[in-house]
Amino acid sequence: MFNLINPDGTVRDRLPVTLEEMKSLYADMVEARVYDEKSMAMQRQGRLATYAPFRGQEAAQIGAAAALRPGDWVAGTYRDAALNWKAGYPWRLLILGRTGDERGGEVPEDVNVLPPSITVGGHMIHAVGLAWAEKLRGTDRIALTSFGDGATSEGDFHEAMNFAAVYETPTVFFCQNNGWAISHPVEEQTRSETIADKAIAYGMPGVRVDGNDVVAVLAAVREAADRARAGEGPSFIEAVTYRLGPHTTADDPGRYRKESEVAAWESLDPLERVRKLLERSGAWDPGWQQQLETEASNRIEEAVAWAEAIPAPEPGDMFRRMFAEPTPNLVEQEKEATGGG
Amino acid sequence: MAELNIAQAINSALDTAMAADDRVMVLGEDVGRAGGVFRVTDGLRAKYGAERVADTPVAESGIVGAAFGLAMAGLRPVAEIQFLGFSYPAYDQIVNHVARIRNRSNHRYSAPMVIRIPYGGGIGAAEHHSESTEAAYVHIPGIKVVVPSTPRDARGLLLAAIEDPDPVIFLEPIRLYRAVKEQVPEIYYRVDIGPLRVEREGTDVTLISWGAMMRETRQAATILGEAGVSVEVLDLRTLSPLDRDGIVASVEKTGRAVVVHEAPFTAGLGAEVAATIQERALYSLKTPVRRVTGWDTIFPLKRSEHHYLPSVERIVTAAENALED
Amino acid sequence: MAREFRLPDIGEGLTEAEIVRWLVPVGGYVEQDQPVVELETDKAVVEIPSPFAGVVLSHGAAEGETVAVGSVLVVIGEPGEMPSEAAESQSAHDSVRAPSSPPTAEPAVEQPATSAPIVGTITEEAEILSSGGPAAEPAAASTVKALPVVRKLARDHGIDLTQVSGTGPGGRITREDVERAIAAASAPSTESAITTAAPAAGTAAPAPQLPAAERPQPSRRPMTRLRRTIAANMAKSWAEIPHVTTFDDIDATRLLEVREALSNRHDTKIPIEALVVKAVVPALAEFPEFNATIDGDDLVVHERADVGIAVDTPEGLMVAVIRDAGSKSVLELAAEVRRLGEGARARTLSVEELTGQTFTVSNIGAVGGGHGTPIVPYGTTAILSVGMARPKPVVYDDEIGVAPVMPLSLSYDHRVIDGAQGRRFMALLMENLEEPALFLTG
Repeated sequence: MFNLINPDGTVRDRLPVTLEEMKSLYADMVEARVYDEKSMAMQRQGRLATYAPFRGQEAAQIGAAAALRPGDWVAGTYRDAALNWKAGYPWRLLILGRTGDERGGEVPEDVNVLPPSITVGGHMIHAVGLAWAEKLRGTDRIALTSFGDGATSEGDFHEAMNFAAVYETPTVFFCQNNGWAISHPVEEQTRSETIADKAIAYGMPGVRVDGNDVVAVLAAVREAADRARAGEGPSFIEAVTYRLGPHTTADDPGRYRKESEVAAWESLDPLERVRKLLERSGAWDPGWQQQLETEASNRIEEAVAWAEAIPAPEPGDMFRRMFAEPTPNLVEQEKEATGGG
Repeated sequence: MAELNIAQAINSALDTAMAADDRVMVLGEDVGRAGGVFRVTDGLRAKYGAERVADTPVAESGIVGAAFGLAMAGLRPVAEIQFLGFSYPAYDQIVNHVARIRNRSNHRYSAPMVIRIPYGGGIGAAEHHSESTEAAYVHIPGIKVVVPSTPRDARGLLLAAIEDPDPVIFLEPIRLYRAVKEQVPEIYYRVDIGPLRVEREGTDVTLISWGAMMRETRQAATILGEAGVSVEVLDLRTLSPLDRDGIVASVEKTGRAVVVHEAPFTAGLGAEVAATIQERALYSLKTPVRRVTGWDTIFPLKRSEHHYLPSVERIVTAAENALED
Repeated sequence: MAREFRLPDIGEGLTEAEIVRWLVPVGGYVEQDQPVVELETDKAVVEIPSPFAGVVLSHGAAEGETVAVGSVLVVIGEPGEMPSEAAESQSAHDSVRAPSSPPTAEPAVEQPATSAPIVGTITEEAEILSSGGPAAEPAAASTVKALPVVRKLARDHGIDLTQVSGTGPGGRITREDVERAIAAASAPSTESAITTAAPAAGTAAPAPQLPAAERPQPSRRPMTRLRRTIAANMAKSWAEIPHVTTFDDIDATRLLEVREALSNRHDTKIPIEALVVKAVVPALAEFPEFNATIDGDDLVVHERADVGIAVDTPEGLMVAVIRDAGSKSVLELAAEVRRLGEGARARTLSVEELTGQTFTVSNIGAVGGGHGTPIVPYGTTAILSVGMARPKPVVYDDEIGVAPVMPLSLSYDHRVIDGAQGRRFMALLMENLEEPALFLTG
């Protein structure tokens, strides 16, 4: 498994990033964690609909997004808020979406991130079509699709991998193997020794990377992205990480996994190893940490305030989102629903 | 007798069926260790083991396709798909194989299996978690579709579905899972697949619904009853095959009908019910059949759910229009 | 200012949660997003963070109690604000489902509209359904019967509905009634008798009716669906089947001894029907026209004996069917009789279990009956009614003794069964019942 930063913050090899880039990646991970914690709290307060936390997967998501360029496509999941944010999807819209408001899916025009996929597996093939279009148009944009270990059991995974390889689309398949598909452990999800092994069968390179090592993830995704941009087709990356929290706020992981397993992964925390590395390099102190957290918290509270100030949807809104022009049945029904008919 | 909610009643039915018949097994995502995302299969794995309560990989087509094979080979699988919106990857298996094998093999093979699927909105869940596309399955020849709205029916219908020689889609109203409780017999009993249940007898107007919308329908009937209207309430509880005789008998008595469903208006099951009434009870009708349904829109997210779900008020108004025409 | 935090639906369709542990006591200070309480729902144990910073003024429920979604979980005040007795006592049991909790008024704590927490969509406690058949027509809640739309019309025109008599079904006030009242009220005349106002043009006058008080009213109630079904079936059988009923008595000494011995051996009460059904099966095999159906000009003789047993239920008589009674042991029959009896009374049996018998046994003795003339269920050719065994004089070899005597009444369809055949059937059945060894070993 490809890895550059050890859990204790020591380094295996020369890092392909500068110290300033390192600090920036760390700051992003801190901000992502603040968002995740705030979202969990808000759901428990009844202010968000069901929420899927990504705690423990910050390095995988921030590292992958850091390898992308503006304009690249991202097709991720409900657990990819950090990845989506780093790729340009603003916190305020992610929060608005989680309050149960379709307007949270209205991604800014200059950002090519799709609204999070809620079904498991259906979106991977979309990243093949997106990348195929860029190839046909002759741009150097690529498409990254993020998904979990569970999604690799869906039939659509096979179809996506096969299409991408057959049409040599500039697609990066980024699998966050976080150990659990709700209550189902990855050992029972597949009998392949690794998920990366599956790439071989489709005729594309597959690598396995320490998903809690932000720099290793960044390097692996950057290499895959470079191959894609160079016209060398798709790649597959398995980032080995761990879902420290529940599947969603409606889940109770205590029913199916051991505390000791969670504790072991807590000790492999993706933020802590970078903090130690920075501290050893003299680039971290508690004051800076405090500053990062306060600034992140301020930005996120601001986004929360923005989202919560958005007026409740009008009853007619849902009818006007169905087609470019509402069809006669919708016009009639909107009148009925809004008391106009 | 025990006071159970619908989730507990279904759990109890599965337990009873597995104890009575060792061919019965449960399979699906998170049905074992976690006891199901709605805790409906809680405790079954501990009692019957991982072989009979199989946690599967995340693959809905796989779950249904494998259950189909298990059923053809003589077992009685009860497959779970976590939400109706997740059943579409399995649609091909259901439509092209499960529903057809008896016909394809002229009775040589059959698919005695149950596909349990929580459905419907009202719990503020994410996209795809609130679907009410039962008509899409009712439209498929070769499968039966059942939707209980009470704990007692849930237990009896599920036991009947497991015994049924043909495939049954068993839809479970999510927002009623824990919202209604009832005294439920603990003995092995069946509620037949087919006949509707007359929940309340009356002579002025028939309210027809099923599943999750039964609650609002019942509340509307109470309001109308207090206003002096004699309301008959039908819980269809089996959507395929439809109890046409039961519907017609009621409308012949009342002369007025309101069909209530959560699914979108166009080509919802209400259209089938209304067509049946006009075909077979037209001359008993005093006023046109009314439909109170969801809209022809995507089921909205949490903040707009209440704009979508048919309200008690809409049902009362439709009944008033039927009565005042 | 104090703010309420109401329990949201935190887990997709939950209706309540149990308080496991309060993490911040009353009077304690809580930061925003700091966990204030640990709850257990049907799905998980979770910590709930406070949406506001401040002093905890009251807990909505004690540890171990259950809180409904939508009810007050905790009240939090500004720093320095003290928990008041009123706030504590009035909100402490708001909507808590604890057996001892008295119903309380609205909580005294004001809830500012702007900071009201968004609660989950499921805000009600579970509704308790009454079991069984269709609900009865509930009594009207108010004396005025009118639809909401009619009430609104009346309200908009200042019409007092208690002064309007309804012409609709059941005395319901219709739109026309109100329109007449409006017309009358706006008419220049001083006529105040709204009920006699002329109907509006184009509206048919209601049929004249005597005031209800002037004639004695017999009470009238619709028959239940089950009762109507029973009525129709009975009428059909009685109209079409020429009945013959034959009466006999048996000495039930051995039958009751065997029943007691079996009950003791297996530590379970053997219903008399189980033994009677077991005794009937060989007779049906011997005389198949008793296990048959007339279909047009054919007599359909059934291979299998599906024996119906009559069950007395609060709603009326139901017949539940023991499938293939011949294949079952006495113990299995006993279990089946119990299951069907319980199921029939609980109204949980399927239609399949309530139809399709090929012969019927009615234990009228269970309610103290003796001889009777049972009506042959439509679609079958005979029915046996078993009365209650009572001590009576019997003659043994020229001596008179006392024995439990059980009356039997057999009705059959004279179209297919002649008197002599009926006699032979009864003789075999009596022989069996008087000496159970004959059918238990068969």
